Amino acid sequence: MGNAMAKRKRSANRPAAGVAAAGLLLAAAAAWPPASRAEYPPKGDFARGARLWVLNCGRCHEARDPKELRDDQWITTLYHMRVRGGLTGQDVRDLYTFMERSN
Amino acid sequence: MPRQAMQRRLPALVAAAGLAALSAVPAAGAASESALRSELEALKQRIKELERKLEARRQNERQTEEKLAELEKEVASAAEWKSPNTLIHMAGYADVGYTDARGASGTFDSVRFNPIVHYQYRDLVMLESELELKVTEDGETETGLEYLTIDLFLNDYVAIVAGKFLSPVGWFRQNIHPSWINRLPSAPAGFGHDQAAPNADVGLQVRGGFPAFGGFNRVTYAVYVGNGPTLEADGGEIEMIETPGLGSDTDGEKVVGGRLGVFLAQRRLELGVSGATGKVSVTKNAGASVSDGARGYRVLGADFTWRPWRLDLRGEYIRQEVDDLASSAYATEGGTWRAWYLQAAYRFRPTPWEVVARYADYDTPHDSKDLTQWALGVNYVFAANIVAKLAYEFNDNPNSGVAPSIDDRMLAQVAYGF
Ligand code: HEC
Repeated sequence: MGNAMAKRKRSANRPAAGVAAAGLLLAAAAAWPPASRAEYPPKGDFARGARLWVLNCGRCHEARDPKELRDDQWITTLYHMRVRGGLTGQDVRDLYTFMERSN
Repeated sequence: MPRQAMQRRLPALVAAAGLAALSAVPAAGAASESALRSELEALKQRIKELERKLEARRQNERQTEEKLAELEKEVASAAEWKSPNTLIHMAGYADVGYTDARGASGTFDSVRFNPIVHYQYRDLVMLESELELKVTEDGETETGLEYLTIDLFLNDYVAIVAGKFLSPVGWFRQNIHPSWINRLPSAPAGFGHDQAAPNADVGLQVRGGFPAFGGFNRVTYAVYVGNGPTLEADGGEIEMIETPGLGSDTDGEKVVGGRLGVFLAQRRLELGVSGATGKVSVTKNAGASVSDGARGYRVLGADFTWRPWRLDLRGEYIRQEVDDLASSAYATEGGTWRAWYLQAAYRFRPTPWEVVARYADYDTPHDSKDLTQWALGVNYVFAANIVAKLAYEFNDNPNSGVAPSIDDRMLAQVAYGF
């Protein structure tokens, strides 16, 4: 403990990082767990999903065909792409609704 | 079951109808009586036959019902994969390549397999992990953990990403380097491992995006705190900034940074600025582990993607800088590693053919490593995720009288993303 305190004093930016990390984790804990639903992701909007696919899925790589994957594989892929491309949760729900009906 | 009841009554009905028909026939002689009798026999036969058929049909029905129940059970278990709380998915990419450099013999020099595993708990948590397995020059297999993060989807606009991640600074390393995505077989000069662009970090990241500027336009962001890079020194100079994503932080000083992007959907234009700052120290000198004082570190990047018509235009600038440190036992002078590239790709839709050209410029504190590079390529796109590439790289050292660190070379590659 004393050792940790001494180490902390050496660096000015470390407590700040620590506080930021703790704050984030607290915020996460407060919001956890979100109301659980039977179905996930919940239904989105097909037409918006189609539009989002056209606009977003070719931003970084050639757009992948909705027929390429199974529904459950699209869920993981779309959440992966959400993190990569800064898509919103609603974007993912709309995209999934489009993928689900197009494969 | 009214239909079955009806069916059971059918033979009786038929018999009644037969008898009614008989009684309607006026009495006649013996000849006609025997005729009647044989007709009655025939009718009896028919009734028996009908009964037999009916029984067979009932049997059939029972079997169908049994089969249906069985099917229902099968469908129920087949649908199970659709709704478990945990999804498991394997993705990734692989590529094989051939290089023929001037003054050297051609070599099949690249076999790489990068499996990605996703585990996802509902729409709340995702584990994403990528390994890299590749064959080395001496036939060994090199293994690496490209990234491993646990992502928590806090709400629609915020995801917390913890673990080892590809650096959110810049664009090429995090989003373009997988071989099925990159339109050329090589990374632009300066954007390879441990060159000007940071590769990975270990720490905590907050990222996401939100609607802005109307329509489908988005602002995207990523902010992170990580262990930061380390420096390798040799002969009194800093050789390179290493950014493999270190699982330790010897200088005890974190690096913080991030990227802010704007995606204008209708214009098919994406712009980003990114950067990071913190402290780093020399941890290796001439190959030996050492410890040294901490010094300032900064990285700054800007990137764009524009896809007008069938063109795909991309460019990026990145600059990593480390400060001087008078008290350093290994390298008092810092330095700047800087690189930029511009790339244009054009796909002749609906054919599978694509052409690509890229110019890159890499500038380091060491003249021998500086490089200007032209790369021209032709691709055959089997599918969005499968591509065969053939390219030629013209490499030059901009410092007069210094040989380029890579010779001009022909590169061939087949890449498969899955
Ligand atoms: C910000 C850039 C970006 C955007 C936007 C993007 N992708 Fe990706 N995508 C990637 C990268 C990078 C990979 C490779 C991941 C890796 O190798 O680590 C990838 C991989 C994939 C894969 C392979 C499976 C996987 O999860 O790795 C699929 C399928 C895919 N993307 C589909 C899509 C779809 C559909 C969209 C539109 C919603 C999309 N992508 C939008 C960057 C992007």
